[in-house]
Order: sequence, then structure tokens, then C-alpha cells
Amino acid sequence: MDVTPIFEAKNIVKTFPGVRALKGVSLSLLPGSVHALLGENGAGKSTLIKVITGVHRQTSGQLLLNGEEVSFGSTHDAVAKGIGVVHQERNLIPRFSVAENIHLEQLANSWLRPVNYTALNQSARRWLEELNLDIDPAMPVSDLSVAQMQLVEIAKALSLQSRVLLLDEPTASLTSSEAANLFTILRRLRDNGASLVFVSHKLEEVVEICDRVTVLRDGDNATESRPMAGLGRQDLVQMMIGRAESGGTWRKRDSAAQPVVLQLKDLATSVGHKDISMNVRKGEIVGLYGLVGAGRSELAKAIMGRFRVTSGTVEVAGQTARITSVADAIHKYRLGYVSEDRKTEGLILPHSVLANAGVPIWRKLSGFLGGLRDSTVRRAVSPYLEKLEVKTPSLAQTVGNLSGGNQQKISVAKWLAAGVQLLIVDEPSVGIDIKTKAYLHDLLRELADSGTSVIVISSDMPEIIALADRIVVMNDYRIQGEVANIGTYDTMSQAIMGLIHRDPHRAQVA
Amino acid sequence: MTPFSRILRTDWFGPLIIVILAVVVIRAFSPQFLSPLNIQVLLLAIAVNALIAYAQMMIIAIGQMNLSVGAIGGLAAISFAGMMEVWGIPAPLAAALALLIGLLCGFVNGVMIAVTGISAFVITLATLAIYKGINLGITEAQPFYGIPANVKAFGNGSLFNLIPLIALPTLVAAVGLWFLLFRLPAGRFILAVGGNEHAAQLSGIKVGRTITLAHAISGFLAAGAGILVVARVQVGQPSIGDDWLILSFAAPVIGGAILTGGHVSVAATTLGVVIVALITQALVLFNIDPFLVQVVMGGLILVAVGINRLRETRMQALKRSV
Repeated sequence: MDVTPIFEAKNIVKTFPGVRALKGVSLSLLPGSVHALLGENGAGKSTLIKVITGVHRQTSGQLLLNGEEVSFGSTHDAVAKGIGVVHQERNLIPRFSVAENIHLEQLANSWLRPVNYTALNQSARRWLEELNLDIDPAMPVSDLSVAQMQLVEIAKALSLQSRVLLLDEPTASLTSSEAANLFTILRRLRDNGASLVFVSHKLEEVVEICDRVTVLRDGDNATESRPMAGLGRQDLVQMMIGRAESGGTWRKRDSAAQPVVLQLKDLATSVGHKDISMNVRKGEIVGLYGLVGAGRSELAKAIMGRFRVTSGTVEVAGQTARITSVADAIHKYRLGYVSEDRKTEGLILPHSVLANAGVPIWRKLSGFLGGLRDSTVRRAVSPYLEKLEVKTPSLAQTVGNLSGGNQQKISVAKWLAAGVQLLIVDEPSVGIDIKTKAYLHDLLRELADSGTSVIVISSDMPEIIALADRIVVMNDYRIQGEVANIGTYDTMSQAIMGLIHRDPHRAQVA
Repeated sequence: MTPFSRILRTDWFGPLIIVILAVVVIRAFSPQFLSPLNIQVLLLAIAVNALIAYAQMMIIAIGQMNLSVGAIGGLAAISFAGMMEVWGIPAPLAAALALLIGLLCGFVNGVMIAVTGISAFVITLATLAIYKGINLGITEAQPFYGIPANVKAFGNGSLFNLIPLIALPTLVAAVGLWFLLFRLPAGRFILAVGGNEHAAQLSGIKVGRTITLAHAISGFLAAGAGILVVARVQVGQPSIGDDWLILSFAAPVIGGAILTGGHVSVAATTLGVVIVALITQALVLFNIDPFLVQVVMGGLILVAVGINRLRETRMQALKRSV
């Protein structure tokens, strides 16, 4: 290759007390290119990003910018050298204007020179135009859509003369048309010579937009800066996990003859759902697909009694149910909900495995005067923890010290112990590596085979297509429609996208 | 957005309407309400209380709280009076030194919060006890009575027999704070840290220094309020500041400040102070037990927080429907 790299990381080693997060990783970025950085959780991706953007300093190894060695003591140093980053979580000041957010970095240099808002707006307009973003720079950022906020962050990075721009999971909360718009912009930036690094779990997107790829595995390079040409999704997975994707494939299951466990009719809720009608049969896996913000988790919480149902009916096992509290949902109707945010909503991290797995059944197990004995709880939850192969030194272990996969297993186990007839699993594979994910999928299938109904909420289309018997598509707090799953990605993804954009008035354009 | 709906969305519009309504209603029941003397009494209360509210507002802006506002104000007040009585220091110098003491107290708060990362609630709870303790140690709970004539004259004086002289420093502070918060980078940093600390840090803002600055300004303003109280009541009471806490939160919250930080309004906070003053006055004019003021103020906080919450959820619903 005769193009010289604009940025190189050579043999980067980063150790934290007790952990070698990076064991000598290299990466080289070319101008005018979109470079994919892939790896499972724990592979060292985020550590490498933090080294490149100046959050951490490498233990050994070199960073080269245009062939010259650079050293970043802080994020500020990295920015000054033209390394821009758009983080996964939004990093804007909500009440500040678009223009001020874009230029905050420049303002940070002086404390007392009055801010010239007219000049700020003018300069911001230029960057917004560059991104085809037609918004008023004086508008507060809190009034923008998520996609617009993300573009504002890109504008912010561009305004700092970034020569290298890292995008960490940029499409995580975008609709597909918003993502397509983002890709158009990224391609244009690339054609103008920018060097982009694209980090994503969505391999379909990676294959679509990236021209080069680096894969990390266990803190090492599984592959270093090779062209993307000729690589497919399966090849990338193989590089990431060191072998081909195993298990986790869709199989046809038929539950049409089974009784309906949950039936929603014309449901409306206090959080804004309208005309929600759907059902779930015994032993069926129903996928609830939609983008972040479509109202799926909120619907699950409304079913669980967390939000008020304002009209319509909920039927559980053929009986009209009035679920007014989560306790009702669990004890009276035997419904369970595995939250997508297991760290803040699903588990009590400082408590033991035993305490976490037992929470939903404490009430059932409590004896005289509400007294509760560890041995009783242990007897009730142990079989499920064993069945799910939770790896923990003991039941007294603090949950916060376990891996993400094990935490997820515990949050499923606690509902199995509670003997639920319907389990709603929200984004089951967020923060879980591919191996555990396949395992978790098998587990949900087994669960359904044994008669528990499952609703899987996911924004990850391959996951939904691998798991569900039937896919219900939601957008903007409404049901857009449903399709029976036949397990082939191309057909199904088209059908699902078709449903999402069924009503042209609702199709959002960034 | 039309200019009118823009005004509707500002923080000061609601409180302003309430102020106008309150004035009209109280005036209807009590003709002497708008007499020059009564207006002067009102402005006296507003001048002091506004500084107390600003002192808390600066800390609310960074998403923290300062329980030691009253303790700092009290310590500055007795220092001001004591320096004049015991050491015979001229009033302007004593005032400057007392302001410096307030600035320092706030600075200490800020440094401890920024360096240790311990919550402002805990740190200022501790320094509340310490500053109050120093106050009592110095005064042995006895007031300083030797307030010089020029200070008394300042406390009693007024412009055109209408605007009290002690309202002037407050006016300067209000304009200064507005300029700081909405025109100077330093003030923008304070709001940025309150709005999203992580993002502010990633944008190169020095978070620790910003937190320290906000606390130092808060201490300075609290000291200013303490000095004005001494000028007004003409005694250096050790108990000055003991009853500031509720008011200091009430006014900014009535003014739509968000307690998690990043959004405050000087004008609306001032209107919040005015509302509290009007209601206190009304209780007096209608012969209602003045001790009920606290009950009313507590109720006001609840109503204001409720309205803010309603506004927020409606704004979100609005955003989703477009």
C-alpha cells in the first residue's frame, strides 16, 4: 500500500493492577478510510480507544501521528493533535445551544473573555452545513432528536480540525434511515480525506461501511489493519471469537395450538402507548423489535404494572387482569421482567448472589412473622443457578464482582425460581460476549420448550431473527405489525424494515 | 417558534405573572400596601433575601447544594461587626475583609468537594457546624452592638425615600451574576458542569476548579447578605443566618432552577424572592400569625417543584409528538 498511515499505534501494552488489558496491540489508520475496530467485550477495544484519545496512557508502545511519535497526557492533548471522538453516550450540555456545544472546547481556554454568541452561531452554521444538518445553531441541544445530537457531536469533533475521528457505537440509538443518513455523511467525510474509526457490534453495518478492519481478541490483535474486501460477517465473527459461531441458530417451533398466555387489546398507557394489540402463546418466543425509544421497554413495564394502563384490556391466561403493581404482576399473574439495565434495574450489585436470586420469592418463602431463612432461599434458587451454570465461588459472592454474562444469568435465574409463566427479557445480550450470547439464546429456547412464554425485546435484528417464532414490530409507541419468523436474515430484515417504515408520516429523517 | 411562545417558555414568565397577581390582589384588600414606606420595607427584605438566594443558586447551578450558606453569612456578619467594634477598623475595610472571609469559607468548601469527591451535602453539613461553631466561639453568643454611625446611615438610607441603599449591592450582584452565568466562559463552565459533568470534562473544562469557583462565589454572596443584615438591624447578632436555609432553596426553585444542575435563572430567582416577600407581607397585613410563614414557604417549594416537574414531562411529551 503506497498511502502512508496518518495515525499508528504500535505494540501498545496497557496494564492495570492485576490485569494486562492490552498485550501489544497495533493499529494503523489511512487517510480517506473507514476503519472498523472490532472485538468482544473485554477484548481491549475500549482500552485501546482510551489510549488513543488520551484518557489512559499506555504502559509501553508508541503512538505515531504522521510518522512522528506523540504522547497524550490528557484528552485535551489528543484533541489538540486532531484526534476526535464521538462517544457512545451523548456528551453534550443539554441546556446549552448547539453552537455553544460545538465550540465548548475552544471556550474552555479562557475564563473571563465574554462569549460572542453571534460569532459562535456563525461559525457553528458552517459545520452544520457540512453535515447537511438544517438546525438553528441557537437552539438548545435538549430540543434535538438523538440522531441530531449525534451529528452535533460529529460537528463538534470536525470543528476541532480532527484528522482522526473515532465513532463508538454511533448507530446504537438511530433508526435505520438515520443510520443511512449518517453513513452518507461518513462516506463524504472519508472522500474528503478524513480517517474514521468505526466501532460497532452490528457487523452488518461494519461490512457495509468499513474498508479496513482491525480485530482484537483477549488483548491481542486477531487481525491488524487489513482491507475489508473479501471478508463477510462470518469471517469477522470467527476472528472475534477464534472459531465459527456455534449453536444459536434459529429452529422452527410451532405453538399455534397452545393457549394464549398474554393478550393485549387496544392498550393505551400513561406513558403514551396507543392501540397496542398483541398476544403470546404458551411456550412461544415473541420478538419485540423496534429502535431505541420505540416504547418497547415502557410497554414491558406497563404490562408489569409499573406504568398505568389508561384504556384497553390485558388478559393473562384468558382472564382479564388488572395489574396495578409489580408485586401483583409477579405474585398474582406470574409474570417476570429481566431489565435491559441489569446494573441499575435488574440486580442489587452490592448484595450477594443468594439475595439477588431470591428477591422475587422472599414473600412466598417467608414463614412465621415474615421470617426468612437463608437455607429456605438457597433450596429454592440453587437448582436454577446450577441449571444456568452461573459461575460463582459461592452464593455469598457479591453480584457486582461477577462478569456481565453471569450477572445476566442470575437475573434470569431469579425469575425461573419465581416460577413465572411469562418472562419478558429486555435486550438480553447487551454487554455480553458472543459465546455467552449464543448460550443465553439456547437457554431461552429451552425455557420456551418447557412451556414458559418469552417476549424478547431487542434492537439487534440478527438476535431477534435467531430467537423469535414471531416478530412484533414497534415504532413510536405503536405496534406497526407482526411477521412470522422464517429464520432467514435477508427476507426477515426486509420485512421488519418494511413494517417500521409502513406509515410514511412516521418515518423520521434526521 | 413565535416570540410569544418563546416568552412562555422562559423561567421568569410564570413567577412574574404570580407577582403581578399577588400585587393586584393584596392591593385590593389593603390600600396602604403600595405606600412608599411599605414598598421600602418590601425592598429591604428582598435585597437581603436575594443575595441569600443567589448564594444557593450558584451551587444549584453546578448540581450541588450548600447547607453552609447561613453559617458563612453569620460568620461574615459577626466578623464585620466585631472588627468594627473591637478593633475599630473602618467600615469599608471591615466589609471587604468580611467578604474575603466568606469567599474563603466557600473556597474551602469547594476545594474539599473537588479534591475528595465527597458529596457537597456532607461537606457543607460539616462546614456548617464548623463555621457556626467558630461564630459562637468568637461571640460567646453575645451580639456586637458597636455599629458605627455610617453603617447605620447606610442601613437606614434610601434613594428618593423609596429604594433602600442596601438594595444597591444586590442590584450589582444580580447584574454581575447574570453577566457571569450567561456571557462569561467561567459562568458557562459552571452551568456546563451542572448540566453534564462528564461532557464538560471531555470538552477540556477543568471541573475541579469550576466547582471551587462556584463555591467561592457562593461564600462571597452569603457574606454580602450577612453584612447587609448587620447594616439593616444595626446589631451583629450571632444568630444571623440561622434561618436562611429554607429560603435559599425556595427562591431558586420557585424560579424554575433544576436541582440536578445546569439550569438557573437570575431574574426568576429574584422573582422567587419577591413572591416569598409578598406572601410574608400579606400574612402581616391580613393579621395572620407570622410564624406561619415557614409553613407557607414549605408549601410554596412543593408547589414550585410540582410545576417544574409538570413542565418537564409536558416538554418531553411535546418533543415526542413532533
